[in-house]
Amino acid sequence: MNGLLLTTQQALQLLLYGDAELWSIVLLSFSVSLKAILLTTPFGLLLAFGLHHGNFPGIRFILAFFNSLLSVPTVVVGLFLYVLLTRQGPFGDLKLLFTQSAMVIGQMILCFPVLVALGYAAIQAADRRVWETSRTLGAPTWYTILTIFYEVRFGLLAAVLTGFGRVISEVGISMMVGGNIMGYTRNITTAIALETSKGEFAQGIALGLVLLSLSFLLTAFLSYIQSKKGVIT
Amino acid sequence: MSGPLFVFHGIEKTFAEDEILRKVDLSLYPAKCILLTGKNGSGKTTLLKIIAGLEKPEKAEIEISGKLHCWKKVMPIIRKEIIYLHQQAFLFSGTVESNVAYGLRFTSLTREQRRESLKKALERSGLTDLAKQQANTLSGGVQQRVAFTRAWILKPKVLLLDEPVSNMDQESREKACLLIQRMKSAGMSIVITSHVPQYFDGLADVQFDLVNGKLLQ
Repeated sequence: MNGLLLTTQQALQLLLYGDAELWSIVLLSFSVSLKAILLTTPFGLLLAFGLHHGNFPGIRFILAFFNSLLSVPTVVVGLFLYVLLTRQGPFGDLKLLFTQSAMVIGQMILCFPVLVALGYAAIQAADRRVWETSRTLGAPTWYTILTIFYEVRFGLLAAVLTGFGRVISEVGISMMVGGNIMGYTRNITTAIALETSKGEFAQGIALGLVLLSLSFLLTAFLSYIQSKKGVIT
Repeated sequence: MSGPLFVFHGIEKTFAEDEILRKVDLSLYPAKCILLTGKNGSGKTTLLKIIAGLEKPEKAEIEISGKLHCWKKVMPIIRKEIIYLHQQAFLFSGTVESNVAYGLRFTSLTREQRRESLKKALERSGLTDLAKQQANTLSGGVQQRVAFTRAWILKPKVLLLDEPVSNMDQESREKACLLIQRMKSAGMSIVITSHVPQYFDGLADVQFDLVNGKLLQ
């Protein structure tokens, strides 16, 4: 018990005294995951819109496919990407393996189904009159889509935050296609795994605290915007 | 009487093998009001949405200035001249002012002209005091008035009103009818659907009953 308290105390010191190594890992994590979520969001939400407003066969199958991908293990995505990016793989010439770009691509694959499935659910909740009213008032299609997105912005924001939560906390992809290289591809989750395997718990706990704080912040923010939605509508 | 703005010919619409509209013809004249009556599910709303270009018919042609056009080809052009209002007005998130101004950004008006137009429209409808209020906090009657104003400001040639006064008390109903009368006097062609034709006595120039997919006068 004393050991755990001591380690936690050391972890807090690392965080509060601005340990350079620790904070560079945190920054890298956020940088990679923010890029992944920002690059994926427009495509994910547009596909969600297309699936909702489209009228073509196989929509139910596509939706079921994305829903099933929500729980895909991150190591499976990592393995799939590794096979593609390895030197003998079809994209080996791009030399992306063990780079931040590979981590971003992997995380994009991971959060895309989240954005499509949750984005679809949010758009589905939109009143059909939004589309009709916007169109009859002369809005072009792109503006009508933006109007619908604005009307269901709280649901879409929840989808984006859930997607971000999924990618910032994944370990399988980062480990397999990032390679956990210090100062280059080591992020919070791979660093925790490494430090724990070395028996160095202080940095692991400090990084865990950052992830936990982020999780609490995201949940609190989601609760806040949902309560705000209650006031507005 | 001046010629019709648009003449819709042979509108056909089927839902799940059920013929809702059977070769319906309808002529829309400026400054004239058509009252459409019919049972629930008779196809009144569907007919209005097809005229507004919000729903696709199986078949339909539109005559403009004596020339016949295919519905699909001409609808993207004439839909700007036709505005459809729902039975229960839908207002976007935001203020009354932002709702009324919504369609103005798609016109060729300058920013200054848009501002002026918005000011006049709010005054005309008695909404100036409510301009900054959140639209979804208003009563049903006032929301409908905001929706009328949002349509009127765009000066459409045709206004399609789906049960416009069905959920209103007498005072709101009278205000709404007065507003419709003013829009008609301004030269708009108006089509109203209603279960209670008496509300529009003195406003409607012609009344049709939609029965078994056909319009009967």
